[in-house]
Amino acid sequence: MAIPLFLILVGYAAGVLLPLCFPARPRIQNLIAHGLAAVATMGGIYLGMVGLLAPDPLAMSVSSTLPLLTFAVRLDALSSFFLLMISLVGLAASIYAVGYVTEWYGRISIGLLGSLYNAFLLSMTLVVLADNGFFFLIAWELMSLFSYFLVVTEHEKSDVRYAGLFYLIMTHIGTAFIILTFLLLFQGSGSFSFDAFRDPGHPLPDNMRTMAFVLALIGFGTKAGIVPLHVWLPYAHPAAPSHISALMSGVMIKTAIYALLRVYFDFFGGHFPWWWGFVVLLIGAVSALLGVMYALMEHDLKSLLAYHSVENIGIILLGIGAGMIFHSYDLDELAALGLIAGLYHTINHAVFKALLFFGAGSLLYATHTRNMEEYGGLLRRMPWTGGCFLIGAVSIAALPPTNGFVSEWLVFQSLFLSYQMPSLLMKFMLPLAAAMLALTGVLALTCFAKAFGISFLALPRSSHARHAEEVPWPMRVGMGVLSAVCIALGLAPMLVIPFLDHVSTSLIGRSIADKMLALDGWALAPVNVEFSSLSSPVLGFLLVATVALGLALVVCYGGTSPRRYSKTWACGLNLTSRMEYSATGFVQPIKRVFSTIYQPTVKLETEFLEESRYFAKRRRFEFHIEPLFQTYFYDPLIAFVSGLADRMRIVQAGSLHLYLAYIFVTLVVLLMVAL
Amino acid sequence: MIKDQSIPQAIALTLAQAIVLLAVSPAIVGLIKKVKARFQCRQGAGILQPYADLKKLFRKQPVVSTTTSWIFTATPYIVFASTVTAGLLVPIFVSQMPLNFAGNIIAFVYLLALGTFFLILAGLDAGSPFGGMGSSREAIVASLTEPAMIMAIFAIALTAGSTNLSTIVHRTALLEGIVTDPSPHLMALAAVFIVALAETGRVPVDNPATHLELTMIHEAMVLEYSGRYLALLEWASAIKLLVFLTLIANVFAPWGIATSFTPMALSIGLAVYLVKVAGLGLLIGTIECMFAKLRLFRITDLLGVAFILALLGLLFFYILRS
Amino acid sequence: MSWLTPHIGTQIVDFGSAMLLLTCFAIVAQRRLSACVDLFALQSLFLAMTAALVAFLTDTPHIYIAAALTVVVKVIVIPRVLKGVIERLNVTRELVMKVNVPASLLICGALVMIAFFITQPIIPFGHLLTRDSLAIALAIVLIGFFTMISRQKAVTQLIAFLMMENGLFLGATAATYGMPLIVELGVFFDVLVAALIAGIYTNRLQDAFDSVDTTRLSELKE
Repeated sequence: MAIPLFLILVGYAAGVLLPLCFPARPRIQNLIAHGLAAVATMGGIYLGMVGLLAPDPLAMSVSSTLPLLTFAVRLDALSSFFLLMISLVGLAASIYAVGYVTEWYGRISIGLLGSLYNAFLLSMTLVVLADNGFFFLIAWELMSLFSYFLVVTEHEKSDVRYAGLFYLIMTHIGTAFIILTFLLLFQGSGSFSFDAFRDPGHPLPDNMRTMAFVLALIGFGTKAGIVPLHVWLPYAHPAAPSHISALMSGVMIKTAIYALLRVYFDFFGGHFPWWWGFVVLLIGAVSALLGVMYALMEHDLKSLLAYHSVENIGIILLGIGAGMIFHSYDLDELAALGLIAGLYHTINHAVFKALLFFGAGSLLYATHTRNMEEYGGLLRRMPWTGGCFLIGAVSIAALPPTNGFVSEWLVFQSLFLSYQMPSLLMKFMLPLAAAMLALTGVLALTCFAKAFGISFLALPRSSHARHAEEVPWPMRVGMGVLSAVCIALGLAPMLVIPFLDHVSTSLIGRSIADKMLALDGWALAPVNVEFSSLSSPVLGFLLVATVALGLALVVCYGGTSPRRYSKTWACGLNLTSRMEYSATGFVQPIKRVFSTIYQPTVKLETEFLEESRYFAKRRRFEFHIEPLFQTYFYDPLIAFVSGLADRMRIVQAGSLHLYLAYIFVTLVVLLMVAL
Repeated sequence: MIKDQSIPQAIALTLAQAIVLLAVSPAIVGLIKKVKARFQCRQGAGILQPYADLKKLFRKQPVVSTTTSWIFTATPYIVFASTVTAGLLVPIFVSQMPLNFAGNIIAFVYLLALGTFFLILAGLDAGSPFGGMGSSREAIVASLTEPAMIMAIFAIALTAGSTNLSTIVHRTALLEGIVTDPSPHLMALAAVFIVALAETGRVPVDNPATHLELTMIHEAMVLEYSGRYLALLEWASAIKLLVFLTLIANVFAPWGIATSFTPMALSIGLAVYLVKVAGLGLLIGTIECMFAKLRLFRITDLLGVAFILALLGLLFFYILRS
Repeated sequence: MSWLTPHIGTQIVDFGSAMLLLTCFAIVAQRRLSACVDLFALQSLFLAMTAALVAFLTDTPHIYIAAALTVVVKVIVIPRVLKGVIERLNVTRELVMKVNVPASLLICGALVMIAFFITQPIIPFGHLLTRDSLAIALAIVLIGFFTMISRQKAVTQLIAFLMMENGLFLGATAATYGMPLIVELGVFFDVLVAALIAGIYTNRLQDAFDSVDTTRLSELKE
């Protein structure tokens, strides 16, 4: 393990330093930075596979001169899984970025961008490998800092700066909570190494454990983007360059999931009361539903994708929460199922979210705008981008035969199997969570039908869209690789399940791989083949066969006349892009039906012709959605903190004498106390 | 279950099922139209008219808009494929389907959603406002039927102890291990019936016979289609209706279905099935004549009732025990 | 009637109670007032049939009288009175609702769950035949109360009040196999008088405000 790890670290380090050595040669900087990142990520994939196949965890450590800090790394099943995910998406992003950053040649320093990119990937790798509390915190902080610098790449724009600042503040609030969690764990174990956290010398009393649970949830939840801590996501992810958004949304928020699993299952040994899992489940359900509802109302394609990340984190937490609940009732087979469902969705989301962000980046590259209302008709001009985006959209809408469908199916199964539980409350709540998941799934389908339909179909709505060109080949290859992985993960879940089972076994101690697969692996049969089964490859085959059947019927019934082309009927007028449905119009019924949550305000101003009030010269339509969390949660909180700070300002009067007096009084008091 | 049957037998059964779906669905549509016509005191077209319509449409030259992309011409095949695949998962005249292992009710619901997704895209593709309108309305109706369907499925799965359709039907038909309290089943039946009306676009949710801008949902999405594409879409929508009727008939009242593979059982199963779906078709035709189509934003009330019915079914299962 | 074992009897009583609850939800989901009245009559009919069945299975004849009274008063007389009121005042539907239909359905669903949880401890002690109906009775009372709060037309509020009374009757039948006959007679006459008074006061509302919207009553203080 040492050699591959060393090579990976060297690769990233070279990727950090070398691009800075070639100033004013952007092409070389681009190729070196992303080439080295690609090599290092391939090493990461190899190391991840090694770790998943190894029966025991591999560990290594290097001590440092500072107390409590050792550079300890540990590659166990959980770390390997996340390392594999980071490296896979990182590889695709590196290939994609080769083409994407050409847009910025001459405008910003590509060397700095590439260097920060490698540093970001390196810090994420270290986060999942760290085996020491301090080391973890250092890696986490580096990850946050480097991602901040990457978010403010286009710092000349004020909204980008605002987004970056917002992100920095939120992530540091989260880090503060994480530090508190680790301090609590340190209390119980006396050392910062993760091994000590696992077997604490003095186990914490129950109220301390509860506090650690809450602190960890808030701290890591801020990074993950659970409601109500998600507010930074829709600002930061769109502001960053698209390959960085893909990494942030697909991989960085998953490191929080890694950390939560590590803390709850590894450090607490899986001994927790039922209500912990219930809280996680509830947060997951609410995040999923609210995430997708706000995503529906977005017209900035990247904000839409950012809100969908909130939704998918919610779905992952649904699976993990169900797993935690089952585990606290000692129903370990079901717990393993819940965890496997959550983990499968983690990697699926990483892959298809990165794919969708690449697509959004390609659209941005081609049209120089992020507003969906200015797209249109791009499927003909950018067929490759459109095809890959379609695969990503079908995956995130959880439709067969893609990977999103398999993982959402598994989450449903784990929620449905709740009828075996002894608690009546759980037997009601888990099916309700399943109903919320169903609503989320179909709203996500709507949202991506809108996103794909408005962006790629019908007529172009602006001159940007009319002159769009297909993107350079590295971007196409990056998207293509991820599309292929999406389909592969969807059609061959039986190859993935054993690895996920290895991870969940390391967390819970119960392996259900033999119970998950039926019929020599052709079907997924969670826990009980009589209860439910799914065969993804057979469904895929059936879909293809029935398409062939359709074609056969068409030929059989004489439907072979060639198509005739004509214009769409627009009531006698020439069809223009103004006649198409817009994104705002598409979601209007949903806005009305769910108006309790959106609380929309609509403003319509009309300017009539002077001659007659029956004819309008110009209309202006504005509609706003009430940002519930900002108004009811953050604004009062910020007002309170500001008020407190205002009152404390009295202390800083500006007078030199007063400050000297403070120092003098403090010194005297301390001297007296020391007596 | 596939171990009990040989591979050729399994393939033969699956093909037979597909043939029944394809052959019977236009007749059900014709039957409903006939029932409505008789209620409106007119003769109406014959029950076999939809077959003639399909034959005509296949032969006609399709006209395709220049605004559209490959999504438009691919959608009829995708919708047809997903609907027939979903239909192959539901037992029709045999309770032990060879494809039982391939998918359960969740897979069924999401396969139909695949068809809906592409139909929504096709509605947007031609660039006409009618298509967009239909797509937008279809999106909201589909959003509200899903939670009700999932809750109803859960209530059914609890009483039968499985989510695989064949297992549910087989166990209910043989009355083994079923909790005999009828209340949860009835609530779930009512919920699934309302969902079926919504998904297949029948009054009171959508009028399949209208082309008025104010009132059409499904028809708006397929407005731009003609020729063989329209034929495939019409056939797919008829198959979807038949599949939902089959689901209702066989999951809630499967008695008469063939539980073994003797020729006698198979023929009785087929005959009983045809009688059941004809009866349900009659019921739907009657309902279509009794009620007016609801305003779009009143459909939420109806689907909310369906969700609550399913929730009540679930509650009754856990609470009402003797 | 040897097939009517206690087990089957319980199931039929449960089924009847479930139908009662179903009609409650149908009333909550309805906007047309005449449909609400019809559904209320149907609910009272189900209630009478369930009570009669309980009387038959447990051999308590005084419930028969209560069931007969239910049929006369709540299935025939009161719906007629209310239909007359609706026709005279030409008020046909509830247009503006403080809580819209899906939200009120969800709240009623939550009320049913609350009722079930509350009666969980009592159920093992109840009589074997009708113990599950107690939970449903409480649920109907709560739903009736909620409907009274969330609707504005006086006719709907009256129907909700009568629905609460139905729930109470079901609860009494379930818990103690019916109240003493005197009490039931008294309750029925109270209900009848209340309905008649409400009919008169709706007329007065109409005369005073030209509307039967009870929120207008707050204008009286001006």
